[in-house]
Amino acid sequence: MILKIAWRNIWRNKLRSLVVMTAIFLGVWSGVFIDALSLGMNNQRTENFLSTSIGHIQIHNPKYLEDNKISFTISNSNELLDFGKNIDGFHISNRTKIGGMVSSANGASAGNVVGIIPENEKEVSSIYESMVYGNYFEEYKKNGIVIGRKLAEKLKVKVNSKIILTFQDPNNEIIASAFRIQGIYKTANSRFDEMNVFVQQQDLARIMNTEILIHESGIWLDNKENVDQVTENLKSNFSNLEVRSWKIIAPDLSYTDEIMMQMLYIIMLIILAALAFGIINTMLMAILERRRELGMLMAVGMNKTKLFSMVVIETIFLSLISGPLGLFVAYLCVEYFKVNGMDFSSVAAGLEDVGYSTIVYFDMDPEFYFGTLVMVVTTAILSSIYPAYKALQLNPVESIRGI
Amino acid sequence: MILKLAWRNLWRNKRRSFITIASILFAVLFVVFMRAFQLGSYEAMTRGVVNMYTGYAQIHLNGYWDDQTLDNVMPYRESFEDSLLKVDGVKSVIPRLEGFALSSFVDKTKGTLVIGANPEKEKEILKIEELLFDGEVISSADNQIMISEGLADYYKMSVKDTLVLLGQGYHGMSAAGKYAVKGIIKFRNPTLNQNTVIMSIPQAQWFFSTGNQVTSLILEKEEFTKVETLVADVSKKIDLNTFEVLDWKTMLPELVQSIEADNVGGVIMAFILYMIIFFGIFGTILMMTAERKYEFGILISIGMKRIKLGMVILYEIVFLGIIGVLSGYLLVYPLIIYFYINPVRFEGEFAKTFEDLGFEPIIPTSLDPAIPITHALIILIIALVLSIYPILKIQHLKPTEARRQ
Repeated sequence: MILKIAWRNIWRNKLRSLVVMTAIFLGVWSGVFIDALSLGMNNQRTENFLSTSIGHIQIHNPKYLEDNKISFTISNSNELLDFGKNIDGFHISNRTKIGGMVSSANGASAGNVVGIIPENEKEVSSIYESMVYGNYFEEYKKNGIVIGRKLAEKLKVKVNSKIILTFQDPNNEIIASAFRIQGIYKTANSRFDEMNVFVQQQDLARIMNTEILIHESGIWLDNKENVDQVTENLKSNFSNLEVRSWKIIAPDLSYTDEIMMQMLYIIMLIILAALAFGIINTMLMAILERRRELGMLMAVGMNKTKLFSMVVIETIFLSLISGPLGLFVAYLCVEYFKVNGMDFSSVAAGLEDVGYSTIVYFDMDPEFYFGTLVMVVTTAILSSIYPAYKALQLNPVESIRGI
Repeated sequence: MILKLAWRNLWRNKRRSFITIASILFAVLFVVFMRAFQLGSYEAMTRGVVNMYTGYAQIHLNGYWDDQTLDNVMPYRESFEDSLLKVDGVKSVIPRLEGFALSSFVDKTKGTLVIGANPEKEKEILKIEELLFDGEVISSADNQIMISEGLADYYKMSVKDTLVLLGQGYHGMSAAGKYAVKGIIKFRNPTLNQNTVIMSIPQAQWFFSTGNQVTSLILEKEEFTKVETLVADVSKKIDLNTFEVLDWKTMLPELVQSIEADNVGGVIMAFILYMIIFFGIFGTILMMTAERKYEFGILISIGMKRIKLGMVILYEIVFLGIIGVLSGYLLVYPLIIYFYINPVRFEGEFAKTFEDLGFEPIIPTSLDPAIPITHALIILIIALVLSIYPILKIQHLKPTEARRQ
């Protein structure tokens, strides 16, 4: 009975109900929209950092991590390769990694010299897709080198410029060797770009007159969800090596990943708080406007509990009509932008430099839709309490007499 | 006459006015509070990064920033420093001579940043005394050096060990020296902590053979001076053909970019809030119009011009808007000031991430007066736009029907 009255009341003043419903609709829609945008942005940022500079898992000689001396190598690196063959979607690249100095006629900078086999490295890292000038070891050139744009700017060098790498060989002799720039890359991580230069493993071995030394194994899994399991697996099989997943290497990235969901709920909460004031005000106005009607209802014997629940149920109805509608439209938008991406390049060119992509592909956790709906209805109930309470305060006799 | 009528109308139905004022007040409260926190966190971040190494502004020889070599040094005179100190807002001038050298200990070598600095003057920037980890602070004419904790860890060296430095000095002169380590500093900035050597300015000038010259003068500003004003004022005092004055935005473009990237989210959020606020205020104005149909009908019947009546409503809404915004200020300002003095402090993991990067794990609010002014204006404009609805309603009102209600 109360339900029926409440339902009818909503449609008696269509304009008023529409305003409240539009506000709820827009609040829900925009809240989910901005949340999906932030989540998508953040996921892409994590993905960017992982695919260019960190990878999913890294393996080192434990001593190398404490003191990156050239002699602390992974002696059984071939076993790692064999191990990987048995796992689906497992890609591995063994690298020589030596700390040294990179210098040109215009300056010098400390850096890591990373010796790779380009075909293997391409499976683990997407740097070959991030080339801004030149190419990524497309043809073999003796002493070819690929450096980051940040370093290139610092050293004022271009493709085909010559730069000198200085480092210590395993006998602690200082070696200086000239390399010619074959390509310049740019990732989202400018610190990485400044620190890491890539050369071919065989060139380093030839210069130092040693066998190929492996200091680091970078691993990429087709399915990121398997990282923890594969890490454990590697740890138990290679107890002499330090196996670290990206969550350990980059705690800040995994931490933002973890708190992201909380952040999304907080954003929604702020929007709903603003919405609550809109609902309270409009409902309060509605109560005042309907003074006469409510007074009449009380006069003919509607008890206070029923009157109170009528106002609350009206508000719940308003939110139950517009909330799911907002969620549905938001869902359609999210699905659209999940596939097509939203282009931000015109408004925020600086985004790329801090690790975000300018084309954002939305993302959303399905349970968030449900969480939002619960929050909206709760907001509606909470914000109807005060107006409903005000309705109870009305004096039936005075209300009927007034206009 | 119209003004008076509008003003009296407000107080005729106090409750209705209060509800409208409340919705505007909460709008101001929400948006201003949110933005104050957001911009405050940027200010704190900027202060954290800037006060770690670069300072808010620096003076160099023209062209040094693009080509940071020792050949671009500039003479360092006390008279020059004094004339800079006379500029309004300049708190202190901190000289530095920065260069690059290869350091070596036992069988290891590493490229290091060599900073010639004045430990007493660096209290607020490099914070040599505050961040002392082991040993002692060098004096301004010491011939011993201090090294960063990361470098000490790399070489496994401790106080009183001797570090060999080898590099290139002024105009290609060779720079070489053996230095005893007097102290170890634990910088908060990871890059700085990895490979930094600090020596006194005279010692660095001798090492790099620059004579009485430095690479940069850091300008420290008074707390409430704007960097833009400071740079403009200093630029007037010095010869811009010889020198360059750069603010932190030029020196730290990445910081500016990450703030801008984050700010995009904040602006979108403010836009969403405005959209919701728009409907909140619209709801109250809508109710108000419906409720007063009878009154409008009578006024038009007894001969009030519709335009005039529209003006009355417009003024009413402007009054409500101004009162709402002002009372919003009264409420939000104490809050902002409170959170400026007692900033929100993080705990746990997140706090650690902040501290590792060298920031205090706090979010203060921003006291920038531009925030409340901009948003108050926007909210007033929203109220004005919404007043179109009752005015249109009045233009099409049929007095006979309205009175019959």
